[in-house]
Amino acid sequence: MHDHGSSDSERNRSSNLHKVLLIGNPNVGKSALFGLLTGTYVTVSNYPGTTVEVTYGNAELNKTRTLVIDTPGVNSLVPMSEDEKVTRDILLTDKADVVVQVADTKNLRRGLLITLQLAEMSVPFILDLNMDDEARSRGIVIDQNRLSQLLGIEVVKTVAIRRSGIDKLLKGIQHPRPSIIEVRYDDAIEGGVRDISSLLPDAYISRRALALMILSGDESLNGWLHANMQDHVIAEIEKIRQAVQSKFNNSLGYLINQRRMKKADQVLAQVLTRHDTGKRSAVAFNIGKWSMHPVYGFPILLAVLYIVYQFVGVLGAGTAVNFLEKTVFGVYLNPWAVKIVHFILPVPFLQEMLVGDYGLFTMALTYAIAIVLPIVGFFFIAFGLLEDSGYLPRLAVMVNRVFKIMGLNGKAVLPMILGLGCDTMATLTTRILETKKERILVTLLLALGVPCSAQLGVILGLVAGLSGLATFIWLGTLLAVILLVGYLAAKVIPGEPSDFVLELPPIRVPQLTNIMVKTLARVQWYLKEAVPLFMLGTFLLFIGHKVGALAYIQQMTDPIVVNFLGLPSRAAEAFVIGFLRRDYGAAGLFMLAKEGLLDPIQIVVSLTVMTLFVPCIANFFMMVKERGMKTALAMTAFIIPFAFGVGGALNWVLRTFNIQL
Amino acid sequence: MSELKRIDTLEGKAGHPALCVLPEIEKEDELFEIIWTLKEEGTLTLEQIIQSCTIQECESILVDLAKHGWIELTGQTIELLPKGEKRARELVRRHRLSLRLFYDLFALDGAEAEACKFEHILSPEVTDSVCTLLGHPPNSPDGKPIPRGQCCAMFRQEMKPLVAPLADLMPGEQGKIVFITPGSHSRLDRLSAMGVVPGSVVKLHQKKPSYVLQLGETMIAVDKDITKEIFVKKV
Repeated sequence: MHDHGSSDSERNRSSNLHKVLLIGNPNVGKSALFGLLTGTYVTVSNYPGTTVEVTYGNAELNKTRTLVIDTPGVNSLVPMSEDEKVTRDILLTDKADVVVQVADTKNLRRGLLITLQLAEMSVPFILDLNMDDEARSRGIVIDQNRLSQLLGIEVVKTVAIRRSGIDKLLKGIQHPRPSIIEVRYDDAIEGGVRDISSLLPDAYISRRALALMILSGDESLNGWLHANMQDHVIAEIEKIRQAVQSKFNNSLGYLINQRRMKKADQVLAQVLTRHDTGKRSAVAFNIGKWSMHPVYGFPILLAVLYIVYQFVGVLGAGTAVNFLEKTVFGVYLNPWAVKIVHFILPVPFLQEMLVGDYGLFTMALTYAIAIVLPIVGFFFIAFGLLEDSGYLPRLAVMVNRVFKIMGLNGKAVLPMILGLGCDTMATLTTRILETKKERILVTLLLALGVPCSAQLGVILGLVAGLSGLATFIWLGTLLAVILLVGYLAAKVIPGEPSDFVLELPPIRVPQLTNIMVKTLARVQWYLKEAVPLFMLGTFLLFIGHKVGALAYIQQMTDPIVVNFLGLPSRAAEAFVIGFLRRDYGAAGLFMLAKEGLLDPIQIVVSLTVMTLFVPCIANFFMMVKERGMKTALAMTAFIIPFAFGVGGALNWVLRTFNIQL
Repeated sequence: MSELKRIDTLEGKAGHPALCVLPEIEKEDELFEIIWTLKEEGTLTLEQIIQSCTIQECESILVDLAKHGWIELTGQTIELLPKGEKRARELVRRHRLSLRLFYDLFALDGAEAEACKFEHILSPEVTDSVCTLLGHPPNSPDGKPIPRGQCCAMFRQEMKPLVAPLADLMPGEQGKIVFITPGSHSRLDRLSAMGVVPGSVVKLHQKKPSYVLQLGETMIAVDKDITKEIFVKKV
């Protein structure tokens, strides 16, 4: 999920390249097209908000070295959330040679809203009508020649996931033009546009477009304004805006959008024909309907969870791990490695470092490859299927009310579910949320209570050996903690909750090739990111063991780990490496349990603590990046004692009431 | 009579109400409307009235109105006295309700001209009926507030309104959006960017556990609160 193409520095190096910028509504296939043009895979899914960052990729298009830029989807170029701002900002600060507006053909009305804004900006662009197949199957046909005439730009049709129409697209991007279509607003608004335009500096986009953004009350523009203009001019502009706004009862942003929508409807009336196809893929439609049904929706949710559990917990964490760990590593690889190392390295210290109890091979690689990898692999497959089916946003519909308790709305379920894949990426995805309060809340809940795929997989493997009651207690504690902390934090953190407005993509049959490519990309990312940290963690443990620090730490933590949590002393090791990666910590517990050192209550208590425990290092850095050092530290400072507190309380309850698990 | 000095196009035009040129009493009415509108905009001065007014004998009528205790004139400032305030409020209410009626419901061109005639003949009872029929709209099509009447306060539902909140539709029904009364500006901006604007046809799929709407090929899940603010005419 960390699969973005390349970094900012690469962009700067290649700023003299020909630049193609992909822009469009959410979930229209920009990333699919990006993958096609550049050969670089970026996550493609079936829900709005998959891409929250700008992605750069190099390609050779029309025999020209080209930098292709993928952007988060926008409903309007007046941003309403952080991911939308990312897209608008790139138009504002980075001059593209060609803008390719990708539109969902069946949803052209909303696409045209963006087209009209690009036309106002006077940027050279072409319009790509993507998902033409889906539109046709619904009986919607767009007259692309007429549309091209009306807009004065090239219009092409594609089906990105089938590579169809790409040659025409490549031809089209050689002839980008500013569009000739214009929207006339109310006299008062036009007057405001004129007055504000005369005060604005030159920019990559037209003054008219900037003035309209300002009139729409676009606060996200403030940074740019202050960087490019003097304060008194900005104050004057704000005065003009207020004067224009005072003439209307409705917000200017709404009036401007309304007029654009009207224009879009006029254009649409001339280019769209609708045939009654009769068959509107009723199966997919009904699945979508049932999955949000007030009654059937919940059994469907449970069934989905059960299938995922069977697939990941039983098949992945059980069968696949057993095979890899016991047979592949246990019978073949580890004994061979031990023999080889002992043969070629006659130094006991090095031998122990590589193949001892805390050996880089026998511990780090065994954990990473034999235990965690099969689990995350299976998880990524299941998760990819869910992502591409369009089920996840419907889940938001089901849980909206519960999330309201936590000062959030159903939309927040998307980053939370993504957290089950990887909390680090999910923290980045909080950008799709509209208010700062929501972003902070979700960041906290992700760091606290949402186990990532690797950790979750190991946990599923562990609880699979326990009774249903044990699983229930672990899960129940977790959900109760999330709800309680969410509820309290929502009271403490200032700010307003936002409306629940979420677009639901159609239910689609996942494409196997995309699932495969996506899973491979994620597994690759896992190996690149996790294995080095596993190595580092093991090495630190080995050193700690050698110099006796480990025993010292165990002694220090015994009052908490042994007395308070009721766990064996060695569990401290798992918590220590849990700082590096939570899944590594969980894997440590997994091994302890396998050695028979943990009874069921100890497993439940240690798992609860490990799940609530601090985020891994990567997640911590992401928290710092997105929320700032102060917030990240404050959250961590809250989480550590809290996790142990909950664990201790759970231990006390289970022991006192003598609950048999 | 037929001479209309100025007809605003609708859709949020930021002007004064169209000036309807009519007999004596209706000239007074017109002045009351101008005064009300200017007061709303916070630019109520004698000078402004004369500027906005197209009636020749404007000033003398004002003096007359002052004499009869409708308004108070002191230099440049003008105040509506209680009975003048009441008359102006009712006039503006009738005018803007008529606009809604003609513009939204009958989709009539020249709604303004019709409204001008209508505002003078509506009785209080009929006015309240029209208001109820339209679902007690808070704004006229040009976005200006419609002064509330008694019926709005009591929100009588005896007459089944033609225009009702989207929240009142049954799942599976569809309606054409007539107007939206947003709780916040940003809410309206976001909805409008997704195509939720007056004129769009919207279908209500379900109400529980969350409201799900369909506009064209776009399906959107929203809070119940939002659907209470979207007023539709069933189609």
